[in-house]
Amino acid sequence: MVKQVPDIERVRFDLETGRLDRSSAEGVTNPFDLNALEVGVQIKERLGGRITAISMGPPKAESTLRDCLARGADRAILLTDRRFAGADTLATSYTLACAIRELGRFDLIVCGEKTLDGDTAQVGPEVAELLGVPHVSYVEEVVAFTHEGITVKSDIGRFHYIYELRYPCLITVTKNVNIPRLPTLRDKILARKARVEVWDAERLSRVAEPDRFGLKGSPTTVVKVFSPLSSGRRGVILEGDAEELADRLLNVLREVGALKMERGNVD
Amino acid sequence: MGREGGALLDSRLIDDLRRVVGDRWVVCERDSVVDYLLDETPDVVRPQPSSDIVVVKPHSAEEVSEILKVANERRVPVYPVGGRTGLVGGSIPTEPGIIVSMERFKRIEIDEENLMATVGAGVTLGELIEAAERAGLFFPLHPGDEGAFVGGLVATNAGGARAVKYGVMRNYVKGVEVVVPTGEILRLGGRLLKNNTGYNLMHLIIGSEGTLGIITEVTLKLYPRMKHSVTLIAPFSSRRDAIRAVPKILRSGANPLAIEYVELEEILKSAEHLNERWPVEEGFSQLIIILTEVSEDSLYAQAEEIEHLCKESGSGDLVVAEAREEQDRVLRIRSNLYTTLKPDVCDILDIVVPPSMLAELIDIIEELGAEYGAKLPVYGHAGDGNLHAHIMKVNGHAPEYFEELKRKIYEATVKLGGAISGEHGIGETRIKDLKLALSSKEIELMREIKRAFDPNNILNPGKVVGRA
Repeated sequence: MVKQVPDIERVRFDLETGRLDRSSAEGVTNPFDLNALEVGVQIKERLGGRITAISMGPPKAESTLRDCLARGADRAILLTDRRFAGADTLATSYTLACAIRELGRFDLIVCGEKTLDGDTAQVGPEVAELLGVPHVSYVEEVVAFTHEGITVKSDIGRFHYIYELRYPCLITVTKNVNIPRLPTLRDKILARKARVEVWDAERLSRVAEPDRFGLKGSPTTVVKVFSPLSSGRRGVILEGDAEELADRLLNVLREVGALKMERGNVD
Repeated sequence: MGREGGALLDSRLIDDLRRVVGDRWVVCERDSVVDYLLDETPDVVRPQPSSDIVVVKPHSAEEVSEILKVANERRVPVYPVGGRTGLVGGSIPTEPGIIVSMERFKRIEIDEENLMATVGAGVTLGELIEAAERAGLFFPLHPGDEGAFVGGLVATNAGGARAVKYGVMRNYVKGVEVVVPTGEILRLGGRLLKNNTGYNLMHLIIGSEGTLGIITEVTLKLYPRMKHSVTLIAPFSSRRDAIRAVPKILRSGANPLAIEYVELEEILKSAEHLNERWPVEEGFSQLIIILTEVSEDSLYAQAEEIEHLCKESGSGDLVVAEAREEQDRVLRIRSNLYTTLKPDVCDILDIVVPPSMLAELIDIIEELGAEYGAKLPVYGHAGDGNLHAHIMKVNGHAPEYFEELKRKIYEATVKLGGAISGEHGIGETRIKDLKLALSSKEIELMREIKRAFDPNNILNPGKVVGRA
């Protein structure tokens, strides 16, 4: 699974609204997804098989899929339809999962750990849950793979876990998992002329409920986008009897914004 | 102040300088001064800097003018200093004197209508590239270290990679504000594309290596940002095959921004040094070709033509970097080649021959290497006929044959119709070799020009034309 994202070095970011002006920069392949594709290509080189690259996005995302074809994918599918637009991670995952179901049997799905524009790291695991297959996120090393399964090392910050998964399964990979190779010029030129399949909502009608696509299928409401201010540790010593202290402590925590009592708050 | 000798730099001079730029911008403390004394010149050939130095940091042409008047009156040497990325000791203060650091000249003005940038001498190459890009424009030249100051790039007429399509620094400079050693401020040229008004003093200043005046501001030509760009890497099994492909590419009508020549062993080390991986691990020699075009179709049509020509000359499969991040990585590894070699380098040469003679020059260097049993790593700007050959240390020291071998390389270069410096300049380290490349009349005329600009020989004395 791949995504076209705006070139993060060039894109303009509106600090007021927290939105990216996507028209201000060219689209590039999400860099983590290139690591994901490289994992697939390395497995294919040793065990054979076929790689299908899938992306959901506007028609111009086709160039990202061509990039995947140049770098070793055998087939490329672009899910594009106005009905898919405005999707949050849940509706995106649902649409991608439907397309994968429509494709039929698969062994391994590899995704980048996150995208540079959304930064949620949710779509990979959500697709796996929707498909009912085991998944591991933040894979920093593919330890081994066979025709039956794959062993990966996952980096979750303070700890590293080694997982053995049997196919079918899904992994999301970090930038450390490999260095994606550059395509040959020949493959790039061939990919420029290759066919990218375009699937719309109708194409998924056998496996999907249309109400779960796009904006309709997206329960997330963005209230505000902001960068939390980082503040250092602060110590407060409270003295008094327990009852009074509990109240005062609550007040202190509210004052610093560590506790909020409103309902429906989106964090 | 902790100066030894201190004969020239008495406290009255320091007081005068403080009056011109303010106390804060006169630096006498040895610990701070020491940062300004050296550049990137290899230690074997690097001249010894004087320890009797004061650093001043003016921020206007008027202040530079006052400093030069003070220095000229007292006959104190002045050394203009930029990003200190030079390789021939051009900014190293070899006598007690004043270093004028241009670090506060940071003004950047982009003129989108005329496609020009007017920038202070202390703006770095990196800052210039970024400012042009923010305005949707492009400064194509990339002489290497992005910490280099624009003033220095003009003073040395820098070249580097990406000079094939639009030329070297001289081709970009349209105007120069310069303060001559006697203190007058000259504004030469301007935002003009044609100008035939008298002798072109601006072009005399470009490449004068800080000996004729201190450049304070320059106006540079910019180009529209090409929407599409790729970097190709073509592996060849021999030096000759790789070099043979270059004139074919130039003749084909494809107009690359850069054609760089590298060798696998060195480029792999450079990548490792940066903790990166070089994308093509085959062949002995490789060409790196950067293309920029308005449309993707014309870009790939050129790329295909170049692939055909490279393969005709025996190359393996070409790879292509298209994403900006991937192209930047290739250029970063290429730019890091010298940094990786530097600890073991006696001298980095930047000889230049007509591009068609490059293969012959490389053959001669190979033969000389064999004759002396010396390893001579080479890479360079193949599209410009400009080659960096390195004479390496042996067991950490300059070998006995160092000067002799260097002279032979220079002689061979000149014999092929070449010059001993394509881009680094003469500075201090090549003065003795100047007579290999120039006639005595040429050197005499250059000294006359120096005298006309600097009658008391106070500005960067001894550099380029020597101590006549």
